[in-house]
Amino acid sequence: MILLGELSLWIALLMTGWAATVSFAGGRLRRPDLVASGERAIYASTVFVALASAGLITALVTHDFSLRYVASYTSANLPFVYTITAFWGGQAGSMLFWCLILAIYAAIAVFSNRRSNRELMPWVTGTVAAVLFFFLLTTALKSNQFARLDFLPPDGRGMNPQLQNPGMAAHPPNLYLGLVATTIPFAFAVAALITRRLDGAWLAAVRRWALVSWFFLTVGIVLGMWWAYVELGWGGYWAWDPVENSSLLPWLTGTAFLHSIMVQEKRGMLKKWNVVLVIATFLLSILGTFITRSGVITSVHSFAQSPVGAWFGTFLLLSIIASSYLVATRLRDLETPVELESMVSREAAFLYNNLLLVGMAFSVLWGTLFPIISEAVRGTKITVGAPFFNAVNVPLGLLLLALTGIGPLIAWRKASTRNLKRQFAVPLTAGVVMAAALLALGMRDGYALMTYSLGAFVIGTIAQEFYKGVNARRRMYGEGAPSAFVRLVSRNRRRYGGYVVHFGVVVLFAGFAGMAFREEFDINLEPGESFTAADPYGDEWRFTSNGVSVYETLNRFTTASALDMQRNGEPQGLLVSEKRQYVDTFGNPTFEPSTEVGILSTWRQDVYLVFVGVTGTETAEVRLTFNPLVMWVWLGGALMAIGGLIVMWPQAERRKAQSGYMASLSPRVAEAEARALEGV
Amino acid sequence: MTVPNPARPCVERRGFLIALGGVMASLPAIAAAQDANTLPGATMGGDGYIPVRRPPKPDAAAILSRAERDAAERKLACPCPCTLDVFTCRTSMPCGFSPRMHSDVVSLAEGGYSEAEILAFFEEEYGEVVRMAPRAQGFNLFGWLAPFLAILTGGLLIMWMLRGWKRNAADGATSDVHPLPVDATEDEMARLDRAVRGEER
Repeated sequence: MILLGELSLWIALLMTGWAATVSFAGGRLRRPDLVASGERAIYASTVFVALASAGLITALVTHDFSLRYVASYTSANLPFVYTITAFWGGQAGSMLFWCLILAIYAAIAVFSNRRSNRELMPWVTGTVAAVLFFFLLTTALKSNQFARLDFLPPDGRGMNPQLQNPGMAAHPPNLYLGLVATTIPFAFAVAALITRRLDGAWLAAVRRWALVSWFFLTVGIVLGMWWAYVELGWGGYWAWDPVENSSLLPWLTGTAFLHSIMVQEKRGMLKKWNVVLVIATFLLSILGTFITRSGVITSVHSFAQSPVGAWFGTFLLLSIIASSYLVATRLRDLETPVELESMVSREAAFLYNNLLLVGMAFSVLWGTLFPIISEAVRGTKITVGAPFFNAVNVPLGLLLLALTGIGPLIAWRKASTRNLKRQFAVPLTAGVVMAAALLALGMRDGYALMTYSLGAFVIGTIAQEFYKGVNARRRMYGEGAPSAFVRLVSRNRRRYGGYVVHFGVVVLFAGFAGMAFREEFDINLEPGESFTAADPYGDEWRFTSNGVSVYETLNRFTTASALDMQRNGEPQGLLVSEKRQYVDTFGNPTFEPSTEVGILSTWRQDVYLVFVGVTGTETAEVRLTFNPLVMWVWLGGALMAIGGLIVMWPQAERRKAQSGYMASLSPRVAEAEARALEGV
Repeated sequence: MTVPNPARPCVERRGFLIALGGVMASLPAIAAAQDANTLPGATMGGDGYIPVRRPPKPDAAAILSRAERDAAERKLACPCPCTLDVFTCRTSMPCGFSPRMHSDVVSLAEGGYSEAEILAFFEEEYGEVVRMAPRAQGFNLFGWLAPFLAILTGGLLIMWMLRGWKRNAADGATSDVHPLPVDATEDEMARLDRAVRGEER
């Protein structure tokens, strides 16, 4: 199976090369036979990439340490689940994993468009195949997971302890699913530019793919935050690390695209901008891959410096040149006569939303690359860390939060003063009441105060939208409130799913703002000794050390500190944090000691314990942190994902039939229902 | 209304290639500056650690509270690949730098030095790279301002575009676009009602 896998990798490489060549030729020469051959080659490539993946998984599971990759990332005593996750745990394996996802996506894109977008498909197939060819070529020549050692080691090196976390099973796959999905919209954009078929058809084809990408990126990023929080032990979930930043960049531009696409659908505006956003999102995902794999920028997340960096740099450069050329030479085709009735309209609000999202993407990219630029200009090394990113992005994030509430309140085309007053009354009141209440309660942190007040404003907007929608249905159809609510959402999934996403954003921001009130304590405790501290809510906590224990488990030696907790005199259980030294099958240390944190999570706050070490013989040195509202961050992420699913969920047949019927009615009736449901 | 001419590209190939040449010419300088945000050879093991010790001030007494001392540590970048500050890194990473840099900060604080002095001492030894964020002066000031300038420029550009589009509307540039009338008759609303309820297909 391993040999078959290795062979399959090379066959897949040839297949994708064929697919790219004949698809482009078929498109150029208008030869359906070549186009069909290219599409069949995509299906075949998918099968062979899957076989190559099966070969690697077989090697991992059977502990074939003659393979360099297996010996480098696993050991005989590695738990089974992490033996599987080693597939994407190292440079070479993750490259093959990327290829597998891209091949599957390519096959789905080709299959789902077998009867539609036929003018575009040769170029779509060719572009996706070209990207896949590059990844397979890099994998085969520079990062081959089937490369063998000259000797057979008795055991492997094992997996980095920080990767031995359930997050390893979920975070990288989701992130890769999101990053790789940006390729399909990019391919459609390239196809539309080459063929100059820049009407709405290509946008309709890519909207769902853009949503898929956004959904998985959202889930992947939030899971990565959770993983960092529970595993790395520094008490936070986002450090503005270059690799973290590189995952955020395509998310920001992808989010901007999902908003601006609505303006093109509704008003036929922003054609150039949408093409640029789709291309930028793909290029940023490749840039992120380049940053992670090249060693250009140091990060605790990145793979070791390897020769693939130069390959990715070249590929990125070529992609930028090719897409810039296509856009630059098609600008006239992208021009549309545009008119705007009013500066106060939803389309204008979307433009500002896009400005902020892309501005944030620029600031993150700028901060990530500025050390390189600064050294090139001044010759002096600098660090651009969290203080810069927070100073720049927090105000932008708050403006974006404000627009999240403002956008849905403004009508398309033109909003009258009367309409604005009616729409803004409730949300503004909610925001002002929240601000007054928090001030009265003594909150003085400016950014936190603004976050919660704007959050209340946005929730006021969302609640009002749902309330008006439900009421409209009740009035029109005589439905009960629950069924009106369900039908409202199920028949307007894009809109109300979007509001669920917005609600998730508010909850997420509330969680972020909670960190403004965190309290940290560095303490040394002898066995039986206690430490008392007040949390941000004013509750008194008492922590008593149960001493330090040392024990051995499957593949590690563990030193643990346990603290008995009381809040206002009430027992809260035991909090345990560990230092782990992982060992190989022969008991030899394999990596630097790692930290396992102890966390007591509630909706109010997390009590976060980090065992730093032992002083003397039994004195535990620990860092205790009260982190308010961390659970809200995970909840916010989950709500965003649920909202994304609602938006993505295919419409039922009944809805299609109804839409068809509505189309047969006079346009006035369809518009009347839409207006009634909009509540404006 | 201008009809796009698909046969004629709006940007000439020569112009595109000249612009491309300019970009390519600037790449070597950027490439030469790679690996900029860490000390050369810095590892988790602490190779490259430089002690930052100064004699205590005469009649020294610590002027920084513990919280202020921690705040100073948060402004110092740990040179290991963690990309965290010294305060955050030292308890979480198996790092050879941050615990020793923490000891240096504690020693300097006990020697009566202020936060600004402590940061300056570290910068003397490690260079500007030891600050978590560059000081807002000289070229680095441009680094701080660039995101805001970019957004401001984008905002002005959008305003300019919106005004142009509004002028188009006033001129009736696309007079074929009209909002649909929204009034429906009772009969039509009743038909819609039946359709939505599934009584009629």
